[in-house]
Amino acid sequence: MKDLQTVLREWEAVIGLEVHTELTTLNTKMFCSCKIEFGALPNTHVCPVCLGLPGALPVPNKAAIQSIVLAGLATNCKIQKRSMFYRKNYFYPDMSKNFQTTQGPIAFCMDGWLSLDVNGNAAKERVDVVANKSADSSCQQGGQQNCQLAAVATQTSLGYSTHIGITRIHMEEDAGKMIHVGGTDGRITGSDYSLVDYNRCGTPLIELVTEPDLRTPEEARLFLQKLRSIYLTLGISDCSMEEGSLRCDGNVSLRKRGSSKLGVKTELKNMNSFKNLHDGLAYEICRQAEVLENGGTVAQETRHWEPANKRTVSMRVKETADDYRLFPEPDLAPYDLSDEFVEKCRARLPELPDAKAKRYFDDYEVAASDAMNLAADVELSAFFDDALLNIKNNEKTEGLATPCQALAQPIANMLLNDVVAYLNSNNLLIGDTQLTAAAICELAELRVRDAISSKQAKEVLMMLAKDGGSANAIVNELGIEQVSDASELETVIDTILAQFPEKVEQYRGGKLGLMGFFVGQAMKETKGQGNPQLLNKILSEKLDASEA
Amino acid sequence: MLRSEYTNLSVVDIREGLNAGNFSAKEIADASLSCIDALDAGVVDAFLSTTPMLAYEAAEKLDTNSAKSAQVKAGILAGVPIAFKDNMNLMGTHTTCASKMLADYISPYTATCVAKTLAAGAIPMGKLNMDEFAFGSSTETSAFKLTRNPWDLERVPGGSSGGSVAAVASGMVTVALGSDTGGSIRQPAAFCGVVGFKPTYGVVSRYGVVAFGSSLDQVGPIGRSVADVAITTDAICGRDPLDCTSQDVNPGYYNSVLAAQQKGIKGMKIGVVPEYLEAPGIEREVVKALKGAIANLQELGAQIVDVSLPNAQAALAAYYVIGPCEAFSNLSRFDSVRYGNKNDVVQTAATDLGSRYEQARAHGFGPEAIRRIMLGSYLLSSGVYNTYYYPAQQVRTLITKDYQQAFEQVDVILAPVSPRTAFKFGEVGDPTSMYLSDIFTIPINIAGNGGLSLPVGLGEDSGLPVAVQIIGPQFGDYAIMRAAAALEQCYPDIRRIAPLMDSLNASANGLKSPERGVA
Repeated sequence: MKDLQTVLREWEAVIGLEVHTELTTLNTKMFCSCKIEFGALPNTHVCPVCLGLPGALPVPNKAAIQSIVLAGLATNCKIQKRSMFYRKNYFYPDMSKNFQTTQGPIAFCMDGWLSLDVNGNAAKERVDVVANKSADSSCQQGGQQNCQLAAVATQTSLGYSTHIGITRIHMEEDAGKMIHVGGTDGRITGSDYSLVDYNRCGTPLIELVTEPDLRTPEEARLFLQKLRSIYLTLGISDCSMEEGSLRCDGNVSLRKRGSSKLGVKTELKNMNSFKNLHDGLAYEICRQAEVLENGGTVAQETRHWEPANKRTVSMRVKETADDYRLFPEPDLAPYDLSDEFVEKCRARLPELPDAKAKRYFDDYEVAASDAMNLAADVELSAFFDDALLNIKNNEKTEGLATPCQALAQPIANMLLNDVVAYLNSNNLLIGDTQLTAAAICELAELRVRDAISSKQAKEVLMMLAKDGGSANAIVNELGIEQVSDASELETVIDTILAQFPEKVEQYRGGKLGLMGFFVGQAMKETKGQGNPQLLNKILSEKLDASEA
Repeated sequence: MLRSEYTNLSVVDIREGLNAGNFSAKEIADASLSCIDALDAGVVDAFLSTTPMLAYEAAEKLDTNSAKSAQVKAGILAGVPIAFKDNMNLMGTHTTCASKMLADYISPYTATCVAKTLAAGAIPMGKLNMDEFAFGSSTETSAFKLTRNPWDLERVPGGSSGGSVAAVASGMVTVALGSDTGGSIRQPAAFCGVVGFKPTYGVVSRYGVVAFGSSLDQVGPIGRSVADVAITTDAICGRDPLDCTSQDVNPGYYNSVLAAQQKGIKGMKIGVVPEYLEAPGIEREVVKALKGAIANLQELGAQIVDVSLPNAQAALAAYYVIGPCEAFSNLSRFDSVRYGNKNDVVQTAATDLGSRYEQARAHGFGPEAIRRIMLGSYLLSSGVYNTYYYPAQQVRTLITKDYQQAFEQVDVILAPVSPRTAFKFGEVGDPTSMYLSDIFTIPINIAGNGGLSLPVGLGEDSGLPVAVQIIGPQFGDYAIMRAAAALEQCYPDIRRIAPLMDSLNASANGLKSPERGVA
């Protein structure tokens, strides 16, 4: 099989995503008051409604409707004032009523879009980036107007930017979970018997469907990451791909570059991590290219991504479209959203990642990519905002002309590098550590003043994360504050030069390697706290000056 | 010993007698159970299961001196023996819907309407036979037994709430709850000579009542007088947080009855649809009964106004699209995974999930249920949906408008209930003829209005009960009660308990059944 880069030069991949998100932050299910809890004992959060007992009726959860309206507003969707629930009829034991309550042709949220910035290596998969003619930046960062063409990649300083249409976001209920006992592959076929856990049954689920505007696996991955950070910022779901509260299926087809006709698509399932989404799509693109280049045709089918074998396998061939016999749910009246309700939701919208990144970039001069990375992480950006607030409120930093701007980037660096590495290796959230916003501000200030070395800063940062406390106090206690007082260091250097006149001679005679010796002596004299850059500078000046 | 002197009492008489200490709730429960013993098995066969334990528990609660007892005793149904159509969940009882599919199903919860009657002090006597999943108009599609019309044991009681009306008409219970999707309360009430009321859609919670056609189903009471039916409606009506199609309506039905009994209905405008008197297949005695009712209403000072319901003739067609579609979906859950899985054929014949579903459903459902499920499955399939389901909904809107316009001119509409009186078992063989027996009741479900079936005596030709239907505007069921209560007074001599009781009473204890009908 050819590699992705090669395939994408010949072929254009057309990708659409279907993203299912459980509204896990709600207290109760979609149509009953059962608790939503992952990992509870099987069938302990069930009632006549979610068990689909004969005679039970659904009552919609208003908080879930609020969540989907928030999702729609955050993704530039048009909120539909009047929409209906429908019944999607199909038989499967995890569906307690043998129909799923979902939405019909009109979903709560229709016709939205998200912009996507693809930077660095991720941008390399895209071969058809066009120069930015208009240089219009107003459509970026959550701007109101929809000024970019869908799917077109426009060059930016860091890579390119593109625009992904969102067809709809609709509300539905989740099914239960089945465990197939016996058999080899955990499937129902070949198993001895199957167990059903209805705890998940009736969990409110929102399904976002994109237009087929994605062109590379990286774009798909970045889109899902962006959507996840938006949902996390909205607080509507924990978006755990591991626990299945965020699930993504992909539709992909290929066409020859230059062609506008869509090819036959396959539907990909089981891509339960960002990496799997990327790798699954990449494999499938290469597989389809091979089929097509060998003169074959792609079968319209559902395929299963096997991460362990790094391949997709056919699940079932779709000869005819499934007939779900969709019809309006007679137990639920058409849903009328009032303007007041929608406006209340709009007022509740938090600052979204794009706007946050723009603020970090515009107001605090944080590097664009760092700003985006920080803004995408709800916990880190909240911590970063705390730190910025701390600087504004702290009188001690008045010594710096623009303390926020001066300290923001160093704090961003510490958070994105050392702190993220620490969090990942210990599987923690920043809130689980002892690190405070005040402490990281002190530490950044110490670094900016060059009071400690970067190596020392990292050591102190780790101590702050583990044990808490103040950066100043730790530095004082350890006595590691760097000596950056030039006159103090000059005195030390004068003493050393006077102590080793023959070495000075040798240096001036051309043995420049002796610089290390002088620095070492100076560090010894300052008990390791001399500012190395400053020591170097003064030493060179003195040694070179005397020579003249 | 038969104690029909208690079970024949009215709701008000029972409550007052109980509170006055004239008799105990246990005596009432005993009386009802002895009636059931004497009249049910092998005679009327109205009950699918009886609940003596629950009945005595409820009676004990009423008879014990306690604060709780005082509260229940004050309930508007205090001491009233009641029974429920077997599509209503009552915790701990079998709820079979008269289907093999649910033969072993025991309710783990209680329907709101059932709970409300019990909270109002009623004594639960058991669960009543019906057409399977309420599909039928004769109770002949029950998978378990035939229920007989107490007026003529060779005839059907009507359906689908056949067990409910038969139990009331034979005096085994005072009131019963039924459900009405296309006439399933009103038509059997007419066949058995009792009062049956389908309130406006949304007046009574459907929570816990096994759904047939969700947008058409409505729970209602069956009793031997308009007053009994009105009081029972007062007990079960109102908004239920568990049914979002239920509405915030005030009890006041019995007050409407009292007001009409005291003040009459002079000046009330009664609509009549002239075409109904010449409807094809309508029996002479039904027309005669209707004309008699019109004359009586005129005598009471009501004004008779001709109204037109031009689209009502399409109601049957719309009903046999919408009903089966909703039923198909509502009944999907009965697939042998959790219901109907004790069938040996299913266990042995199924080789995979799909064939298990097929086997279980083929064996678990009767022919009428299968007919409606297949019809609904076809009507909803892609390509067909737009030809049937969508136009049916449009027709529904038109019919609803017809009624709205008619009720701009009149307070209630008087109509037949069924084109004919009770027929013999097997007499109506083909499904279409059976469907046609509901032509006067179905439009009301399509429009969502309320309708009441009021007995007006025995047919001259058949000697069987004949009834008229009083239809009201949406959520204007109080007007129905007023008209019905006033009209009822024009028939002081008709009996609401089938003569069947007399012979049994006489043979059992030599007592003459007190003529307790309703004044």
